[in-house]
Amino acid sequence: MSDVRIDQREAGDEATRSRRRHPSQALISAVNLHKTYRLGRVDVPVLRGASLDVREGEWVAVHGASGSGKSTLLHLMGDLDQPDPGAGEVHFDGRIVTSMSRGERNRYRNRSIGFVFQFYHLLPELNVLENTFLPALVGLTRFGYYAQRGEIRNRAAELLAAFGLDHRLAHRPRELSGGERQRVAIARALVNRPQVLLADEPTGNLDEKTGSEILDLLAEQHRGGLTIVIVTHDRAIAARADRVVELHDGKVVGKAGTWKTES
Amino acid sequence: MYHILLTNRYLTTRVIPLIAVAAVALCVALVIIVVSVMTGFLDMVKDSGRTLMGDVVVSYPVSGLPYYDRLIERIEALDEAEAATPLVDGWGLLKMPYPEGRRKETETVQFWAVEPQSFGDVTGFRETLYWRPPEEDEVGAMGDGDFRRELLEAIGEEGMERAYQDALQLEYHDAEGRATPGVVPGMHVSAGNERQKDGSYRPVRDRWWMPQHEVILTALPVDAISAPEPESAVLRVVNEFVSGVFLIDDKRIIIPLQVGQDLLHLDEAQIVDEEGEETGFIDPPRATMVLVRAAEGVTPEALRERIAGAYETFRGDLLADHSVAMELIPPPEGFGVGVQTWLQQQRQFIAPIEKERELMRVLFSIVYLVCAGLVLSIFWAIVYEKTRDIGILRSIGASRMGISLIFLRYGAIIGAIGSIVGLGLAFLIVRNINSIHGAMGKQAPMWLWIGLFILAGPALLMTVWRARKGLLLPVVMWTLITLVLAGLGVGLMFHKGTLIWDPSVYYFSEIPNTMDPFTAVTTMIGAVIFSVLGAFFPAAKAADTDPVRALRYE
Repeated sequence: MSDVRIDQREAGDEATRSRRRHPSQALISAVNLHKTYRLGRVDVPVLRGASLDVREGEWVAVHGASGSGKSTLLHLMGDLDQPDPGAGEVHFDGRIVTSMSRGERNRYRNRSIGFVFQFYHLLPELNVLENTFLPALVGLTRFGYYAQRGEIRNRAAELLAAFGLDHRLAHRPRELSGGERQRVAIARALVNRPQVLLADEPTGNLDEKTGSEILDLLAEQHRGGLTIVIVTHDRAIAARADRVVELHDGKVVGKAGTWKTES
Repeated sequence: MYHILLTNRYLTTRVIPLIAVAAVALCVALVIIVVSVMTGFLDMVKDSGRTLMGDVVVSYPVSGLPYYDRLIERIEALDEAEAATPLVDGWGLLKMPYPEGRRKETETVQFWAVEPQSFGDVTGFRETLYWRPPEEDEVGAMGDGDFRRELLEAIGEEGMERAYQDALQLEYHDAEGRATPGVVPGMHVSAGNERQKDGSYRPVRDRWWMPQHEVILTALPVDAISAPEPESAVLRVVNEFVSGVFLIDDKRIIIPLQVGQDLLHLDEAQIVDEEGEETGFIDPPRATMVLVRAAEGVTPEALRERIAGAYETFRGDLLADHSVAMELIPPPEGFGVGVQTWLQQQRQFIAPIEKERELMRVLFSIVYLVCAGLVLSIFWAIVYEKTRDIGILRSIGASRMGISLIFLRYGAIIGAIGSIVGLGLAFLIVRNINSIHGAMGKQAPMWLWIGLFILAGPALLMTVWRARKGLLLPVVMWTLITLVLAGLGVGLMFHKGTLIWDPSVYYFSEIPNTMDPFTAVTTMIGAVIFSVLGAFFPAAKAADTDPVRALRYE
């Protein structure tokens, strides 16, 4: 487990890592994000100027009621979705993600960000090992894959072993329990050594004990230096974070980017 | 790289691609079978043309070429020519030996008057003779109802050998060895002969087996002096031929050259002046055609060029020969005298079939669109089903191009596998098309339909058993299986044999059974292209899928 944590400390895209950042500067920021969904003929504003700064190595929990826009905020920060035109930006390591080219944004999602979802979202046709190293495959050309395939498989297998899944490598997701599936999903999110892990209700589909194990696992990674943003509606889960912010009425309530812990 | 992994997994872990492969395979097989049969048909037309008339034909219709033997000498001196033969062709009426009584039936026939020896060297005439002593392996291959078996018992091998030898000489030899002119009609000239389902021939009333019967051929000669008056010749049928081309077998008879020349007044004669006095010039016998066979490896086109040259030299010789009357010198090539390859000679017949084949190719190419439509709908369903996977892949950094590549690659692989399976299926069907057709022409064996009924029994039980369990899908499936098995059983029980390939419509008695490689390759490439095109829209849809919606899709 410790090896993996040390790995995380050295993680990240070399290009962004080499950029010098002031310790007080955020690694990832949401700046005045607006997002409106259209339901039939009705515009439904979900985010109304949400802002959040997350520093390197920080674990931030975004707490809010169901439908408050927590997941939307996470999706915008992870570039799975775009804010309304001209209404907000996402910054990562000093660059504006929302202004990047498509290729750069693909690389951003692939290398700088790791996603963990409530419903695991593993590919049912792939086994545990393949699901885990899939992001590494996505980031490589065919020649790159042949040059690094041993390394990639080893990295995925090590992560899975560290998460107690070394006996499950050849199993399909349907053969795993919920907790095991979520551990595979976390391993997949970490396989490319991202700088930020974005987790959307990662324990929402698990019983309390298993959920707690998953949070322990995240905490372990956090201690290894991983920056984590978790969204949850559960105060107890939010309390595990270094800092909790509230999302209310489409805005992050309180001083975004300040050190503040709710209990 | 992940495209390959995912494409392979989507292909190998699901049933739906198998349906797509089966659809593509059936489309490919359909096109290959139809166009191959058409191409084979065209090849057979061309081959038979060559078998029947050699490679190059020098023709001078009606008037006929005088001194044709000199021309043949010149042609045979060419390295490119292997053999040449003179021929007189014309139309006449053939009085048949049947029925009993004085009112005999008459058939319109095209006669070819030939020198049997050289005619056999140039064309495939000898091989087309039907009544002949069978080879050892041929006897085994004959069905029980084959008339030749009965004939062998009646007249023995010796009798068959005589019919064959007489045909080779176009002479009938009686018991005392006296020879009279013989005739070899095509198998369908006599209304008595019928083709059996096994492909053999049988005279419907046995006594009208044609050989040894007398027939009378009447023709109308056209000459310069007198008004046309019919001429007749009595001939003995010595054998019958089957060229496989129905139009030929139905109309053509082969008679000795001398008889043909006599009938059309193309035999040797004294030339007389206007008072009827002999001029001292001889009008030699004439031939309306000279058929030439090319030497090994020489194309008909190359031979035609050489023969056109030889013809001019032959004409030059005649012009220089003072013993030849000027009026006897034939015109140059192109002015009534034609020197043509067999293909040019048959052009009018072959060109429509070629056009028909191309039309079929175009029409059946619509099947490609069906193929593309099938792939499109199947892939649409796959993309719909895989929406969540697309969202996951986008969340881990997959590009839109990468996502669409998964489905395009999927389409290409399904097209390729479907093409290969379709090719195999088409090969099996085309190679065995005559057996399949033959089986369709026979009554189905009892064990087959009883077997189908026996299989339908357990299927019915499964339907009932599944119905008790209450699930609809297995009930529908087993009902369908029961209906198909029972329906096939009933169909085969009442099936008395259907022949689709009617030789009187399609010229040939056998369905062509060779696969056309050009068609096979182009169809396979077409299937892959159209499968990829079919995958294109679902792939674009996949690329456009909003990852957030896709992840919420359950």
